[in-house]
Amino acid sequence: MTEDPHAIAPNPPQRALPLHRQMDRIWSDLPGWRGSVASVNHGTIGLRFMATSFLFFSIGGVLAMLIRAQLATRDGAFLDTQLYNQIFTMHGSIMMFLFAIPMLEGLAMWLLPKILGARDMAFPRLGALGYWCYLFGGIIILSSLLFGVAPDGGWFMYVPLSGKTYTPGISADVWLLGVTFVEISAMAAAVEIIVTILRLRAAGMALTRMPLMGWYMLGTAAMMLVGFPPLILGSILLELERAFDWPFFDVLRGGDPMLWQHLFWLFGHPEVYIIFLPAAGVLSTIIPVFARTRILGYGAIVAAIVGLVFLSFGLWVHHMFTVGIPHMALAFFSAASALVAVPTSVQIFAWIGTMWAGRVDLRLPMLHVIGFFATFVMGGLTGVMLAMVPFNWQAHDTHFVVAHLHYVLVGGFVFPMLAGITYWMPMISGRFRVRALGEAAFWLIFLGFHGTFFIMHLTGLLGMPRRVDRYPDNPEWEWLNLVSSIGGMVMSVGFALFVLDIAMQWLFGRRSHRNPWKAQTMDWAMALPAPSYNFASLAGAGRHDASVTLPLARGEGLLPGAPRDRREVLVTEPGTGRPDHVAVLPGNTRLPIWTAAAIGSFFLLMLAGLYWATPLAILLILWAAWQWGGFMGSRRDAEPLAVAPGLALHEHWQMRNTLAYSGTVTLLVADATLYASLLFGVAFLTVIAPNWPPPDSGLGWPVLLTGAAALLMMGLGLVASLLAEAQRAAPPGRLAALAGVAAAGLALLLLAGVAWQFDDPTRHARDALRAALLGYAGFHGVVTLMLALRSLADVRQGRTSAMRRGAAPVWQLFQAFWLGTSALSLGVVALQEIG
Amino acid sequence: MIWMARVLAGPILWGALFSGIYGLHGLGCGLDWPNRETPLGALHPLAMIGAWLLGLALHAALIRWNRALGDARQAMLVRAGNWIGAVASAATLFPVIATSTCG
Amino acid sequence: MLIGSGLITVLVLTLAGLAIWRGPRPSDERRWTIWWGLGFSMSVLAVLLAFALRAGERIIARDDGTLQVEAEAQQWRWRFVQPGPDGPVQTEGVLYVPAGQPFDIVLTSRDVIHSFWVPQLGGKMDAIPGHRNVHRLMADAPGTHEGLCAEFCGIGHAAMRFEVVVYDPADPPPFVSAESLP
Repeated sequence: MTEDPHAIAPNPPQRALPLHRQMDRIWSDLPGWRGSVASVNHGTIGLRFMATSFLFFSIGGVLAMLIRAQLATRDGAFLDTQLYNQIFTMHGSIMMFLFAIPMLEGLAMWLLPKILGARDMAFPRLGALGYWCYLFGGIIILSSLLFGVAPDGGWFMYVPLSGKTYTPGISADVWLLGVTFVEISAMAAAVEIIVTILRLRAAGMALTRMPLMGWYMLGTAAMMLVGFPPLILGSILLELERAFDWPFFDVLRGGDPMLWQHLFWLFGHPEVYIIFLPAAGVLSTIIPVFARTRILGYGAIVAAIVGLVFLSFGLWVHHMFTVGIPHMALAFFSAASALVAVPTSVQIFAWIGTMWAGRVDLRLPMLHVIGFFATFVMGGLTGVMLAMVPFNWQAHDTHFVVAHLHYVLVGGFVFPMLAGITYWMPMISGRFRVRALGEAAFWLIFLGFHGTFFIMHLTGLLGMPRRVDRYPDNPEWEWLNLVSSIGGMVMSVGFALFVLDIAMQWLFGRRSHRNPWKAQTMDWAMALPAPSYNFASLAGAGRHDASVTLPLARGEGLLPGAPRDRREVLVTEPGTGRPDHVAVLPGNTRLPIWTAAAIGSFFLLMLAGLYWATPLAILLILWAAWQWGGFMGSRRDAEPLAVAPGLALHEHWQMRNTLAYSGTVTLLVADATLYASLLFGVAFLTVIAPNWPPPDSGLGWPVLLTGAAALLMMGLGLVASLLAEAQRAAPPGRLAALAGVAAAGLALLLLAGVAWQFDDPTRHARDALRAALLGYAGFHGVVTLMLALRSLADVRQGRTSAMRRGAAPVWQLFQAFWLGTSALSLGVVALQEIG
Repeated sequence: MIWMARVLAGPILWGALFSGIYGLHGLGCGLDWPNRETPLGALHPLAMIGAWLLGLALHAALIRWNRALGDARQAMLVRAGNWIGAVASAATLFPVIATSTCG
Repeated sequence: MLIGSGLITVLVLTLAGLAIWRGPRPSDERRWTIWWGLGFSMSVLAVLLAFALRAGERIIARDDGTLQVEAEAQQWRWRFVQPGPDGPVQTEGVLYVPAGQPFDIVLTSRDVIHSFWVPQLGGKMDAIPGHRNVHRLMADAPGTHEGLCAEFCGIGHAAMRFEVVVYDPADPPPFVSAESLP
């Protein structure tokens, strides 16, 4: 027993094996393939994410080998230009969207609950939904390659090249719709990761004491939350232009191709750090273990993460140094791009300092860490060089940039991930690895990588631009390219060997004992392979390290077992980790895969150009979304549950600040970023684009009055949602919910009235932007209406009481958000009309 | 969670200042401010330098008054957040006094 | 810059190597994070940035009566306009500029985004529909240079080449002149 005043008394010990059986029955996946599509467990979903992303990695790698085969000689006749363009576009898109991001999501989902001492992620069904969206979207993107209609405009899809005029078929739509479909999983993961880290940590684990991995993932998820919406918005706008001719990027009608570049890189640069941060988290976790010491400079590293998260949003224009932006604006971004190297350097020196303090044990994961150092440092320095405007003007869009970005991404992501995989494999497979194969794989990958890309710096400095398939007039580039191609083949062999090593470990490895690396963190405080429920009882205040394995397995910790046959987790207060309530998580269900299929039907109909049929898909999605609410209520008031002697906590249905509430707030942050990006689009086109001002609209007061009436209805709806919660136990609550439904419906009708008065959106970018703002309001109107209906259903079905609030708190959030954004939109239109 | 807000105050101020001055720069170039004279020189650099100095003053205020109660690590992170914001604003926006505006 | 980067890489890797191969020794947090992490990196970056900004100021185009030539990009060819004795002269795929004096190239595009780049002359600049970008370059000596499109622009991207003929200003080809257009 510690003397900690917050200490929680232990539960009486039980026999570990029966406890394990009881837990496993509740937490594991159902048997058979029908059961496997119903899984929501973070362990299963996380591993699925990682395995699938590795599959896409190998496909992207094969494409890379095709590129290298083509470039090995100057007249490469291996691929025709059309196919070559598809292949390099797909290589970049697959590696970014179908490998790197899903890989880190999978790692986060699989690892976070374990390392933070929890049993699952905050939203298991959302994680599963994300996985299915990722898989289906990935299949759509990949199948385009088989049908010969793969995107061919480069992975950043610059307009006007990717517009309807210059890319008539469906190839660009495959990219826009497929990637947006996949990004649903990124947004789901971002929300899930943030809420899990802030609210599911082990009891008493203060934020400032959590393992660094938690901070890294928190930073990553925060960046995903604000980094992805600009890309999603850009993709929606471009798809609207391609499908319905709304001229957001057409200069003749007041659009501007520069808007696409801003939106894309506003996502694209943070993306690099989104990929790097989890990898750095792996390094900060692994290095102290193998140096047999503690990490040096915890506080400095957390500060560096904070700095990186913010600064990385001030860099995007450095991808656009050659588009004709004034030198002062370039200088801002140049300085920011240089400054962002500082937090990175703080981390690198903290890692070196950690190794300095300890005795480094050169096991296989550590080899990959060395691979990271040798590669990433150079990639970072070429990055600083590229941040300097004059040098950038010379090297931009050449193979120098290709070399730089591979040094950063392979050095800063792939090597740390390989280190992570080899480090956590014993926990996944429960086995030790087979000797020597892994080392051979490492050396082949390492030497192959540098053989491919080191020399590519020189190729670029000699003037070879990227994305050319032949260079008949430049024999001086040939031997360099040949060397790169050979290096690439060596690297491929290395990766194949790596996969073989993993397979051998799974099949033939010796059974591993607990905590084979003697790590400190809680992810190793469990039997191997990791059980479906992670911890039979949860760690209390004071000790959050691997030493608690046995007491937890014996049920001495909090909330032991599954006595009520439900998946129960402990929700804590975000800052201190004080236990707050018990959340009951949903069990196995096929709802996520059905919902993803419904969403997929929408994307497929869009892709096929069957726009008239999309309302059917939308109805299907709404129906599926409605089913999700079914789990989120309880018809009875329950007594507080005994979590530990002297500590009884409520179930989440009786709390206001639930996981779902936190998740909604988090989601709205992303939503607000999307809206802000749209407002940025309005401002950007108004100030910068040629062919403004637009033709007179002649709208005037009628449209503003209709809009104001809609706002009034939204305001009334907000009052109704507040009343519905305040009066939930009394008859007026029911009336308020009903009024809220009516108000939302009326507001939607009035918005339709506004739409009827608006000008044709194909006439000018201003009219298209107005239509987009209106569409945004309409979308949120539908969501709000659904939530109002859910609240009404809660009242009617007896799911509210003095203690239980139902969906009303979440409804209020969306209602207020709808009102706020719509008021701003109306203000924009009013300014345009009057000003 | 007030503590977290304190840590983030400095970086958020940088974010506001960076996007604000970048926006001001684009707006000024669009509205031909470099050629609009004021008693103190051209309007465009003046507006940006003014905004920058005001922002730096706010950063100084944060460094002076934004402190956290709590353990040493919490206090250290609030201090670090203040300085990250201040250094970022000073370093990324100093071009307002160093380079030509719309060229 | 290349040499500096190389030296820093070697330095960091040496430190990492020493940390790995020597036994445990006292390691001071402030020395690593503040001195090395902050101090070292920030001083290198400050010097580098100052040089880059000065160089950038020197090479940006200004409105000072420098010789102007025009380039219009289109999938997949370049059309140039340069001053001649009898008014502007249009050429396809060949640009004529004088040696030893700076010139501004005005870039426009008729369809998608292209990028004008002559590796031997220096930096590149995009040609963007609806925009008019100006880029300053200078060729030191007479001769002929290869130019290419550096921004991916579709199926003919790799073949979108052109030539820059740098002539001696004292002896220009008969149809062009090194004087600015009025």
